[in-house]
Amino acid sequence: MPKIVNLTIDNQKIQAPEGANLLQVAKDNGIAIPHLCYHKKLTPTGACRLCVVKIKDMRGLIASCTVKVEEGMEVTAFDNELEEARKYLLDYLLAEHDESYDGSYHDEFRELIFKYALDKKENRRFPSIWKELGYPKDETSPVLTYDAAKCIKCFRCIKACDEVQGKNVLSFTNRGIVSYIIGGFDKWGESECDGCGECIQLCPTGAIVEKPHREKINIENGIKKVRTTCPYCGVGCQLELWVKDGKIVRSNGVEDVSPNYGRLCVKGRFGYDYVNHRERLTTPLIKKDGKFVEATWDEALDLIARKFTEVKEKYGRKALAGYASAKTTNEDNYLFMKLVRMVFGNNNVDFCTRLCHASTVTAMLRSVGDGAGSNSIEDYETSDCMLVTGNNMIETHPVTATFVKHAVQRNGAKVIIIDPKWTPLVKDAYIWLQPKLGTDVALLNGMINVIISEGLINQTFIEKRVDGGIKAYEALKELAEKYTPDYVEEITGVPAHLMIDAARTYAKAQRPLIATGMGYSQQVTGTHNVFCLLNMMLITGQVGRVGAGLNPPRGQNNVQGVSDVGTSPFTYPGYISVEDAENRRKVAKIWGVPFESLDGEKGLSTVEIMQAAYEGKVKAMYIMGENPMITDPNLNHTEEAIKKLEFLVVQDIFHTETTPYADVILPAAAFAEKEGTVVNSDRRVARMRKAVDPPGQARQDWHIIAEIAERMGKPLGNYKTESDIWDEIAQTAPIFAGISYDRLEHHGIQWPCPDKDHPGTATLFLEKFNTPNGLGKLHPVDYAEQTERANAKYPFILNSGRILYQYHSSTMSRRNKALNDFANEAYLLMHPDDAEKCGFHEGEMVKITSRRGQIETAVRISEEVLQGELFMPFHYSEAPVNRLTRDELDPYSKIAPFKISAVRVEKL
Amino acid sequence: MIKETRITLKNVGKINPESIDDYIAAGGYAGLKKALKMEPFSIIDEVLDAGLRGRGGAGFSTGTKKKFTSRSCQTCPQRYVVVNADEGEPGTFKDRVIMENDPHLYIEGTIIAAYSINATKGFIYIRGEYTGSIDKTRKAIAAAYERGFLGKNILGSGFDFDLELKLGAGSYLCGEELTMLESLEGKRGHPRIKPPFPAEKGVFGAPTLVNNVETLSNVPLIIANGKDWYKQFGTERSPGTKIFTISGKVKNPGYYEVEMGVSLRELIWDLAGGMSGDKPFKAALLGGAAGTFVDASMLDERMTYDNLREKGATLGSGAVIVLEEGDSVYDMLYNCLRFFKHESCGKCVPCRVGTSMLAKGTEKLRNGVPDKRALLDQMVHESEIMAATSLCPLGQSPILPLKSAARYFAEELTK
Repeated sequence: MPKIVNLTIDNQKIQAPEGANLLQVAKDNGIAIPHLCYHKKLTPTGACRLCVVKIKDMRGLIASCTVKVEEGMEVTAFDNELEEARKYLLDYLLAEHDESYDGSYHDEFRELIFKYALDKKENRRFPSIWKELGYPKDETSPVLTYDAAKCIKCFRCIKACDEVQGKNVLSFTNRGIVSYIIGGFDKWGESECDGCGECIQLCPTGAIVEKPHREKINIENGIKKVRTTCPYCGVGCQLELWVKDGKIVRSNGVEDVSPNYGRLCVKGRFGYDYVNHRERLTTPLIKKDGKFVEATWDEALDLIARKFTEVKEKYGRKALAGYASAKTTNEDNYLFMKLVRMVFGNNNVDFCTRLCHASTVTAMLRSVGDGAGSNSIEDYETSDCMLVTGNNMIETHPVTATFVKHAVQRNGAKVIIIDPKWTPLVKDAYIWLQPKLGTDVALLNGMINVIISEGLINQTFIEKRVDGGIKAYEALKELAEKYTPDYVEEITGVPAHLMIDAARTYAKAQRPLIATGMGYSQQVTGTHNVFCLLNMMLITGQVGRVGAGLNPPRGQNNVQGVSDVGTSPFTYPGYISVEDAENRRKVAKIWGVPFESLDGEKGLSTVEIMQAAYEGKVKAMYIMGENPMITDPNLNHTEEAIKKLEFLVVQDIFHTETTPYADVILPAAAFAEKEGTVVNSDRRVARMRKAVDPPGQARQDWHIIAEIAERMGKPLGNYKTESDIWDEIAQTAPIFAGISYDRLEHHGIQWPCPDKDHPGTATLFLEKFNTPNGLGKLHPVDYAEQTERANAKYPFILNSGRILYQYHSSTMSRRNKALNDFANEAYLLMHPDDAEKCGFHEGEMVKITSRRGQIETAVRISEEVLQGELFMPFHYSEAPVNRLTRDELDPYSKIAPFKISAVRVEKL
Repeated sequence: MIKETRITLKNVGKINPESIDDYIAAGGYAGLKKALKMEPFSIIDEVLDAGLRGRGGAGFSTGTKKKFTSRSCQTCPQRYVVVNADEGEPGTFKDRVIMENDPHLYIEGTIIAAYSINATKGFIYIRGEYTGSIDKTRKAIAAAYERGFLGKNILGSGFDFDLELKLGAGSYLCGEELTMLESLEGKRGHPRIKPPFPAEKGVFGAPTLVNNVETLSNVPLIIANGKDWYKQFGTERSPGTKIFTISGKVKNPGYYEVEMGVSLRELIWDLAGGMSGDKPFKAALLGGAAGTFVDASMLDERMTYDNLREKGATLGSGAVIVLEEGDSVYDMLYNCLRFFKHESCGKCVPCRVGTSMLAKGTEKLRNGVPDKRALLDQMVHESEIMAATSLCPLGQSPILPLKSAARYFAEELTK
C-alpha cells in the first residue's frame, strides 16, 4: 500500500496516495481543473496544458496531469493568472477548430468554451484560421469518421489504440498546426484498424464519431441509455446501449467496471443492428403443405404441446430431445433444462458447448473438479507468462486479449503460443510453436519431459496437492520419458530448442496462465490435449494462486452459464451428476415433482442426439437459438438426421439454415429485448437488461418454454419475473447460492458464491481442488496418431475456426453492415508453395472435397498456415465447412473434431 | 585588442581530421588514458571543480549533470551517453567546426564521460544535413575502435563502451534533449514530459547523460591538463572558452574561440574585422532564433551566461548575427517567428497555435492595424503565456527575440 500524503489544493486539505496523479487527485476531491488531453485510462500527455497549476517552491506553471503528489504539496489550481492562461489556451484551440456541432457526440471542448464564455465571439482574441489549414476528413473506415478540423490533437485516440487496446494503428502526420491523426500510413480504411472504436470512446470532441445512425442522435434529446452485457463472445463486456425511438443507435463500453473497463471490440460496439433487422421473425410460423404460414401463438403452442405429447406417448420419453442456447440467458436455459427433465422426462438436453469446450470442461472436471476458468480476466494483465494454446484470442476474445497485450507491452510478460496457424497475437509473442495439426499431445508430453529432466517440477506441490503424490507423478514421468525433444520434433515439426525454451519459461514463471481454446478442444483427442495441459500445470504447481491456473475463454456470452445452470445431458445445475440420486431428490422437492419422475440415466449429447435422430430413436426436437445446420459436424449426415425427425420446433430470432427443416418456428426476443443473467468466461454472473421491445409478436424464450410446459400439462412454476427464476437456480445450484439480482445491479459476481455475504471467488483452487478428495488428478496420456490422415486422394488437412468480424453461424453478426463491411466472404487459406503446386492464384474459386462432402470457396494464399494444411472460417453458409468435417467423437466429452479433416482441393 | 584562445579548436587546420595518428601526435587520447586510471567519481569532481558549463546554450553545470546521472537508479542495468550533435540553431556552426576538423576530440570526451558515469553504450545524434561531420565522425569512430579506444576492455582498463551514430532527419526540435531521446528510440519527434530528466530516465528508460559536442570537447582537456589549468581561462563563474560563430555584416564572418567574458565589441572589431560596410552597427541577434536582439548599448557587456541573463539577453549557442544600420530588425524577427511556426511539432496547444498567431501578428504589424503599439504589446503578452504554458523549450523561445526586439526596436516594428 502506498503511503498516504497530505497536500492542499486551493487551501483545501486533501489526503491521497503518494505518487498519485495530481489532476486525478483534484478531480476525485471535487476540484475540477479543466483538462482535455488527460484521461485516467491513459498515461499523461501534457498536450493541452489546460490543467496548469502553481505549486509552492516550484517554478512557473506546471501541468498538473504530469505531477505526482507529495507530502506537503501546496497547490494553487485557480487564480486570475491561471484562468487567463486557460482562456488563452482555449482561444488558441478555437482558432484551429471547426465549431459546427450536430449534437451527435459529447464534446468536452465545447463545454469548456461555454464555461469560459468563449462562445461569444467578442470574448475571443484570435481569428478563426482552420479553413486555411486544409484539414482533411477521413470517411474511409466502415465504422467511424475522422474530421481533422474538429480534432484538438490531444493524443487520446492514439493512446487509446496503443495503450488501451495494444493495437498501435493511429499516429500523427505532418507537423505543427497542420498536423492531424491518421490510421496506418494514411487512410483509416486502408489501415490495420479493426474497428474496436476505443478511439471514439475516448475522443473528447467530434473528431472521431461513429458512422452508424449518427444522423439520428442528439445527445440532449430523447436518448435512453441501458446497461447490459454484450451478446457476442464470452468476455461478458458491459455495454451501454443508446436507444432512440425504440431502436438501438449506439453502443459504448461501460467504464470502471469489470470485465472490460470500457473496452469493446468491433462486434460489441457495432454489432447491434441485427436486433432491429427487417428479417427478424415476428410471428409464429407453422409448416403447412411444405410452406410456412403465419399462426397465432395459441395455434403454434397447442400444436407443439400436442405433437410432443404424441411422440412421448407413441415412442416413449427418450424420443424427445432439446438443444438449448448459449446466446440466451441462464433463466431461459434453466427453464429449458427443466422442461426436458420434468416434462419430456429425460436428460436429452445439450447445447453448443458440446462442440466447443466440452473436452476442456471434461478434462478439468476430472482433474481439478471445476469446468471453468480458474482465474479472473484481470490476472492476464499481471501474469508474467501466458501459454496460449489453440486460441486465436485477439479475434475470438478481443477484450481478453487487451489484458494479455498490456502484460506484454507494459510489463514484458512472455506469451508462448501453440498454434498450427498464425494468429495476430504472434506479433506480441515470445515464442510461437507451430506443431502439425493434431500432434498436441506429443508436444505437451515433450514439454513435460523437459520440465522433468531439468528438475523444474514442484515436488512440494505434487506431494501436497496431487492425488497419489509422487507415485502418481512417477507414472507420468515414465510415460513422458520417450518424448525427448528430438522425438517430439520428429512428430510435431516444432524445433526442439523452441519447445525446450517454452517449457522452461512456463515452469519458471511466477504467475503463468494457460489460455486454451478450440484448437485444443475440437479434436477427437480434445480431452487428452487438455489433460496434458493439466498434467504440466499440476507437476509444476502453476495453479492455486492468484495469477496462475488454466482458463478456457468461452466463445459465446453465456456458454459458461448454460453449463452452470445444468443444461447438460450429464449434470444438473451446479455440475452435479444426473446420476446423483440425492441431488435429484433435492431438486425434485424444489420443483415439486416426484423423485421417480426425474430420469437418473445420462442423456444424449449434441451430436449423439442427431445420431439418434438418424437412427430413428429421437423423433421430435425442440431447438432454441441453435443452428445445427451450420454448426454441427458432418452436415450432410446432420441434414439426413434432421429430415428424419417427425416433429421439429425451432425457436430463434431469424430464419436460419435450420429453420427450413422445422415444423413450427417460434419468434424469440433478442438480447436487448430481455432481462436475465449470463455468466462469462471468468465465472462472473452479470445482468442482461431490456433496452427495446421485441418486434411483432416475438416473445422472450422463457415465456415460450413455460407456455409449452403448461400446455403439456406440467407447469414449470409460478414465475413473475426473471429474478424469480434466478432465485430457484440459486436454490438448486450451490455455486450460485449467494447471488441474487439485487447484488448484481452494479457489478458481476464470480461463482462459487455460497452465501449472501460471500463476495464471490476470483481465483479457484487456492486451498484445494474441487474433486471429491480435494486433490488434483494426473492423467498421463500417450500420443496417438489422428485417425483422419492425409493420403493421396485427400492430400491436405483442413483446419476451421473463427474470425473477428463474424460470430458463430453468423445469424447475428452478418446482419450488421459495419461488420460485413470488414469481412463478408468465405475463403480457404493455403500456403504459397501448395498454391503454386496446385496452380491456384489468389481469389480463385476452388472445390474442396472430404470423405463426407464438398463445398466451393475462394483461395487466399498465405503463410499463416503450414504446407499441407488449410484453414477456413466456419461462419459462412455459402461455404459451410461443416459439410466436410467429421462426427467421430472424443470418447470422453463427445466433442467433434472440427479442426482436422482430410480434403482435396481442385479447380472448378 | 583581444586574440583568440584556441583550446578546443587547437588542432583545427593543423591535423588531418581523418588521421587518428595526427590526433594522438597532437596529444590526443592522453585525457582518456589518464581518465581510465582515475576513479570515475574523481573525474566528475574534476569537471565539476573546473566549472565547465553546458555549451549547448543552457549553461548548466556539466559536472553536476554527470553527478546526477551517475547516481540515479543504481539498479538500472544500463546507462547511456548521448551526444547532442544536432546543431540546428540558426547562425550556429561551432560543433560542425569540431566535428569536421577534429572529430576525435569530442569522441574522446564522450568516452571519458561514459567512463565517469559507467555508461557502456553511447549515441551520437547528429544533424542529418551535416554530411561532412557525419563522414568525419564515422571514420573517427571506426579508427577509435581499431585502436582500442572504443569497444571491449578499452586500453586494457576493463571498461567497455560502444558508440553508435544516429542521424537526425531535419527537425529543429530534435535538438531539444528529450525530443532527441524520443527520436533516438525511433519515435516521432515529440517532446517528453519533464521530469523525469534524462539523468533519471533517458533513452530507453535508462539514466542518460546528454551533452553537447563543444561541452564534451572540453572534457579531455580538463582531464589531461587539470582543473586549475582550465580555470585560468574565462571568468570565475563561466570558466573556459567559448566558440562564437559570427555572421552578418562583418568583414570576417566565421568561428572564433575566445575566453568567456569578451564583449560583443571585441568580437566584432578585434576578431571579425569590424563592420563589413560603411554603415554603423545597428543590432545583433545573440544565440540564434531562440536568442535575443541587442542594440549598440550592449556592445561592451561581458558575454557570460550570467551577465547576459541579468541584462535580459542570452549567450545561447554562441551565434552572433550582426545587422548594420538600414537592415530590418522587423524582417529578422518575422523570419525567426515563421521559423518557430515551421518547427513547432504541434504536440502542445500554446506552441502549435501560438507560433502561428505570432507570425500572423507580425504580418499585421505591416498590414495596417490602427494601434500597432498595442498589437506589439499584445504579441509580447502572448509570448509570455506561451512561455509559461508550453511543454518544451520551443514554445518558450519566441519570447526571446520578440521581447528583446520590442525592447530595443519598438519604433521600427510599429512604424
